[in-house]
Order: sequence, then structure tokens, then C-alpha cells
Amino acid sequence: MSSRALDDKAQKLQLAELPPEFQDQEESIKITGFWLFIVTDVLIFASLFATYAVFVNRIASGPTPAQVFQLNTALIETLILLTSSFTIGIAIWAMRQNRQRMVLAWLALTAALGMAFVSIELVEFAGDVAVGWGWHTSAFLSSFFLLVAAHGTHVTMGIIWAVALLFQLRKRGLTTVTRRKLYTFSLYWHFLDIMWVFIFTVVYLGGRLI
Amino acid sequence: MHGGDDQHETAMEPGFDFISPRFEEPKFPMHQVWGYAASLVLTFAALWMTVNRIMSPSVLLGVVLAMAVAQGALQLGVFMHVRESRGPAWHLLPLGMAFAIGIGLVGMSAWIMLFKSGVS
Repeated sequence: MSSRALDDKAQKLQLAELPPEFQDQEESIKITGFWLFIVTDVLIFASLFATYAVFVNRIASGPTPAQVFQLNTALIETLILLTSSFTIGIAIWAMRQNRQRMVLAWLALTAALGMAFVSIELVEFAGDVAVGWGWHTSAFLSSFFLLVAAHGTHVTMGIIWAVALLFQLRKRGLTTVTRRKLYTFSLYWHFLDIMWVFIFTVVYLGGRLI
Repeated sequence: MHGGDDQHETAMEPGFDFISPRFEEPKFPMHQVWGYAASLVLTFAALWMTVNRIMSPSVLLGVVLAMAVAQGALQLGVFMHVRESRGPAWHLLPLGMAFAIGIGLVGMSAWIMLFKSGVS
């Protein structure tokens, strides 16, 4: 056997040890592609954070950050999102153990936590707008709503994605394709958690420090 | 690809070891439990420090930002399995690039606004 053939054999053995979503070349390319989407989303959030940093002191005749933000609400939102990041992490772990019912349960819990998060955020926004602190009040509030609602919209999209995945997983089970979809969903969800940690730190904690 | 002996890692060009793929599939998700606990500790610590103002605000802002970066790294490493890949984990390069551009964008925007003179 030539050394080239030996190399190929070693590579096939190596591939057989990978999880199905990485063994399949097309699915693994889609995972890499999803990472590139996350890269572009990092840049979008970076520009929104930069906008917020520039406008945070431009309060016009509106309220200051310290007046607008309630740390209790922000803390509850943070805890919900951190927990949902953990639950989807467990779902991926269960997927690697081929435990489909467990995957469904943890994915459903993740979607439910996402819904709780978005609901609390909407109540918070509605409360701000009700007392006249809308996004047209000052440059600070414009950039605040833009940044935080961009994140909230991402989470809403994630919930729709998770619910669709729940139906598909129930119907088709853990196939190479559904595994890859669940894997990319988990990347998306964890990414949103990271962005929220920065929103919590920069916007809500930062509001008390500047 | 060369170097068929090594079954666990694809042979790399020298200097590119950091993108060689890694997988971990333990029987109990211990990593995830620790990652979750650590993120909770970091969140509550940052909140406690801010509410009690344990140091000057500008220094404190730097500290809580560093803690947020730590939490982000935790998510990437523990939950996102950032090094999992079929071959070399090439996505690490554009991801690092995006972080560098993002930090530059936010950092320089904040820095330029420290100069109170000029247009507002």
C-alpha cells in the first residue's frame, strides 16, 4: 500500500470518530458557514455598541440611564438567559449521547426560557414608553432601544427556530441533518447569551457607573 | 494532508496548531454544570461590585467589562465547543478578526468621545 493510501485510511478512521454532523462533509461545511454568519453578527452588534457608547450621554431633555434602568429586571433577564444557555448546552450533550427525548425536553425548556426573557423585555419597554421615554426622546434612548431591541429580535427569531426544530426533531428524529440544525441553533443561542452579558454589563451596570 | 500516524489530530503547518480540532463527549455534562455555575458567580459578583461601588466608577467599569469578557470566553469554550471541526477549525481566524475589529470599533468610538471639545 502506498503511503498516500495509508494516509487516506487513517483519515477515514479519524472521521468515523467524529459526531455525525461533522462526519458529513456538506453538513460540516454548513456549520463553518454558520460560524461566518456569527462573525458578521459580531460586527453588527459591535457597531450598535459603538453607537450606544457615543450617545449614552446625549440625554437631551429625557431621563438619564440611571433613571431608566432597573437592575432587578435586568438581573432576572440575565439569569433567565444564562440558564437557557445552560439548557441548550445540555441538549447538545444529550444529542451526542443519542438521547432524543432528553434533547426534546431541554430544547423545549430553552424555548420557554427564551419566551420568558422576551416577555419581560417587552414589559420593560412598554413601561418606558408609557412614561414618555420612547426611542424618539433622546439620542441615548434611540441607541438604547436599537441595541437592546436588536438583541431581543434575535432572541425572538431564535424562539421561532427552536419551535420549528422541536417539530422537526419529533418527526424525523436525530438524523445527520437535524443534528446539524440543532448544533447551529445552539451556536446562535450561546452567541446571543454572550451579547446579552455585554448588554447587561455595558448598558445596565454601566448605567450605574457613568 | 500529510502525517497519517496521528489519529487524533490532523497534521498542521507549523504555527497553526491552535486550529487543530478537538472534541469532548463525557458521560456526564460536568463542563456545562461548571460553566453555568461560573457564569452565575461572575454575574452576581459584577452586580454586587456595582451596587456597592467598591472602587472608583471608571476602574470598576473596566473590571466588570473584563468579567464580561471572561464570561464570553467561558461560553465560547464550554458551551460553543469553539474548537470542534471536521478538519482544521478555520472559523477561529475570522472569529478572532471580528473580535479585534469589534473591540477596535467600540474602543475607539468611546475614546474619541472622551474629548469633550468640538461638535456635539
